[in-house]
Amino acid sequence: MKIQNIVKYIREHTDADDFICSIREDNSHETRFAQNGITQHISGPKLQISLQLSFGTKSGSCRVNQADEATLGFLIKTATDIACLAPEDPEHMASSGPAELPRVENCAPATMNLQPKDMVDIVQKSIDKAIAMDAMVSGMCEKHLVKSWLFTKNGFEGSNESSSFGHSMTLKKGEVETKVSYEAKDYAPFNLEEEFSRLSSQATALASMQDFDAQKIAVILRPEALQELIWYMSWMMNRRQSDEGFTAFTGQLGQQFMGEKFSLYSTLKQKSLSASPYSPEGLPSRETTWIENGLLKNMPANRYWAQKVGCNPLHIFNLYIPGGESTEEEMMKMVPRGLIINRFWYIRTVDMKAGELTGMTRDGVLYFEDGKVRHAVNNLRFNEIPHDMTRRILALGTEKLASPAMIVPTALIDSFNFVDKTSF
Amino acid sequence: MKYLDLAMNAASSLGAEYADIRIQKTTDQVIFLRNLSLKSAHTSVLDGYGIRVFKEGAWGFAHNNVFSDEAVLATVQKAFDIATLSASVNKKKKLRLAPERSYIATWKTPVRIDPFDVPLSEKVDLMMEVNRTMLAFDGIKQAVFYMIMHKDEKLFASTLGTRLDITHQFIDPMIIATAIHDGDSQSRTFDEGGRAVGWEWIQNLNLIDKAKQIAEEALIKVKSESLGPETRRTLILDPNHLGLTMHESVGHPTELDRVLGWEADFAGVSFATPEKLKNFRYGSEIVNFVGDNTLAEGLATHGFDDDGVPGQKWHIIKDGILNEYGSTRDTAMEIDLGYSRGCNRATYYYDQPINRIPNLYLLPGTQPLTPSELIADTEDGVYIQGRGSFSIDQHRVNFQFGGDFFWEIKNGKLIRPLKKVLYKSCNPEFWNSCDAICDERFWRPFGVVNCGKGQPSQTARMTHGSAPARFRNIRVGGSQ
Repeated sequence: MKIQNIVKYIREHTDADDFICSIREDNSHETRFAQNGITQHISGPKLQISLQLSFGTKSGSCRVNQADEATLGFLIKTATDIACLAPEDPEHMASSGPAELPRVENCAPATMNLQPKDMVDIVQKSIDKAIAMDAMVSGMCEKHLVKSWLFTKNGFEGSNESSSFGHSMTLKKGEVETKVSYEAKDYAPFNLEEEFSRLSSQATALASMQDFDAQKIAVILRPEALQELIWYMSWMMNRRQSDEGFTAFTGQLGQQFMGEKFSLYSTLKQKSLSASPYSPEGLPSRETTWIENGLLKNMPANRYWAQKVGCNPLHIFNLYIPGGESTEEEMMKMVPRGLIINRFWYIRTVDMKAGELTGMTRDGVLYFEDGKVRHAVNNLRFNEIPHDMTRRILALGTEKLASPAMIVPTALIDSFNFVDKTSF
Repeated sequence: MKYLDLAMNAASSLGAEYADIRIQKTTDQVIFLRNLSLKSAHTSVLDGYGIRVFKEGAWGFAHNNVFSDEAVLATVQKAFDIATLSASVNKKKKLRLAPERSYIATWKTPVRIDPFDVPLSEKVDLMMEVNRTMLAFDGIKQAVFYMIMHKDEKLFASTLGTRLDITHQFIDPMIIATAIHDGDSQSRTFDEGGRAVGWEWIQNLNLIDKAKQIAEEALIKVKSESLGPETRRTLILDPNHLGLTMHESVGHPTELDRVLGWEADFAGVSFATPEKLKNFRYGSEIVNFVGDNTLAEGLATHGFDDDGVPGQKWHIIKDGILNEYGSTRDTAMEIDLGYSRGCNRATYYYDQPINRIPNLYLLPGTQPLTPSELIADTEDGVYIQGRGSFSIDQHRVNFQFGGDFFWEIKNGKLIRPLKKVLYKSCNPEFWNSCDAICDERFWRPFGVVNCGKGQPSQTARMTHGSAPARFRNIRVGGSQ
């Protein structure tokens, strides 16, 4: 059944006071390889039709994955039955009405045209290159095409079409393990030669590892590392949770809460960034300044909380951290000694109120001193507070697309708090 | 169902060396209540099928949600074509499948009251009452009740001749009370994990009493002190804390796909490599871990895995020595095991099954020992209940765990509550420091319902379990 017919069927077969219907079609191809062979290889379409119905302030929702009339009938009946049995919700909000949505190009022709054979060729070449250097490579080559729609009884209509391509490679040669990954909406800029060259360079740099104890020390966080910390921090940056006293952001709105070198935006202007034109609530995406030169200007708030406290409802649809001019070589000369971190792993919240996270380094840590890389070191555990960390930013480097929805620079940060180390 | 034979005949005709089809309907009901506001009452039904084809040492997997002869045949063809592409890469690295016989069986989670038959109003009424009970405590600012009811109905057929009809279901209730006091915010959670049982379990949990208890403990916790600087201390860990500790530090390191490096790019590898089998001292002599996919009420007890291999029970660590892994038909042959332990599981119909942690538990101590006696026998330590922050490196060696509720132990007594406690340790130091485990009277299961792994990411479930256990000389301290 076509999308318009699904919506028409739902409109004609429910007497609910309100509804929100979202539909999503996925088409993916995923080739997973490990130790120089393919271990998983997956392809197929997916469909999700979600319906939230409301009678007064009582709501229920249901999701199905087939679009025949019998299933749609089940969808409507189930959501209706749940709504009728649900209690009145004091926080109920009527669905969004018509809205002017930004025009966003989230789909890249090169990604759409990529064929399974092309992807297997990429995997084969990756393996060939690893074998040529007597190493093992593991990774994932994936392509996703997603179409989504959102309709409400009150007249909101939105749609979005997006593509993404990813290719990651973890190389193991002897005791050295390191990784590079490309993830973007557009396959066109992907260059396997460059990616593997970066991987090979990282592996070479890590060849001589020396034992290193946990301590507070300056770090150069490469974009893949910084993005993970900022993603967790942005998750804690919730207006309601803050207003209710549960996070470190409580009482900080309008304050110089972060370091002056740190700004954070959601933006439609960066063409390489993916950006849904609307939120799941039907809020149009628009230019949003979250943090500007350390000043906390806005926090995400859903429609209910926004009307309760009298602020604009806002949502994060991507994240952009502007960078600076410093190169890694220049950063290494700004501090006597420090570490270069490729990425982090297994980050978890230690203390929500304090905003404290823990996690470990992964895929290579380099020690530098007197402006030069000296040797690799073992992996380390950190316990760190990202918003506090932004006050210790000494310099920012060139920004980079770290994932389809995040542009992040390299950052030099003082006194990063490492608390433990691994045996490797 | 006719599609089983249609698919298997088509796969055989195309030249598949092995193929299977898993028709899977997954039904979830999720109810989320926060401060008397029903944030979600949601039912999800995902119905479709996944077809695996094995050819020339490589897999192809295709899935579809359209049920018709044409769609099934097209999906078989797609899986075959993908397997052919995979095989073109795997010429020098062909996978093999461990031998397995065929089975014709039906398996169903035993439940007295199917949660899906219980009216929503009855569930929400209970949850509202629990919410009100917690909010009645002065200082409790957030009361959350989150409940998942889940059912998988699977029909499985393979070219070995296996035909399986499996229904597996579980419930997972979680209650959280959050207190605010003097600029701090702390939560206490009732969380026994998920359990493969019916609604009768919920009825017998006395959740109103549990709500009072966790609200009181949240208030105690928020007003308590931190532990201070990290020093070597003794830990006594409750089963509902140890569940996650063993999950991360024993369960994942003994998944054979990680051991083989198949997860190297994402979830990581394992220090517990094959040359350590039968000789590596993973823990002290009292440490015995059993993989058991026959465990009653276990989340990984399905009768058969998604390779069509029956549930089994085996020692993963025996008398402290690494004994065996959790394996699948394809991973087992990489170490010439010759048989699979039946650990291949997929989450939804569209997921290719992967090597998963089985139900995995620590056997209780063989000598009579109560938790009270264990505490009385401890001079200086910390007693930890519940799950907190958890993080472990990608080789599964170094880890740091928090908890949910903490008591300082001095001279055999619980002397004061604590907050923000963390401990750091590593494999094999941690399990070798285990010097006492309470006896079987105090053994409790703990079901994990959100084990994330794989690319594309999947969420698996498995049950852990233990009696309270003691660990000596562990680095324990307050957070930053």
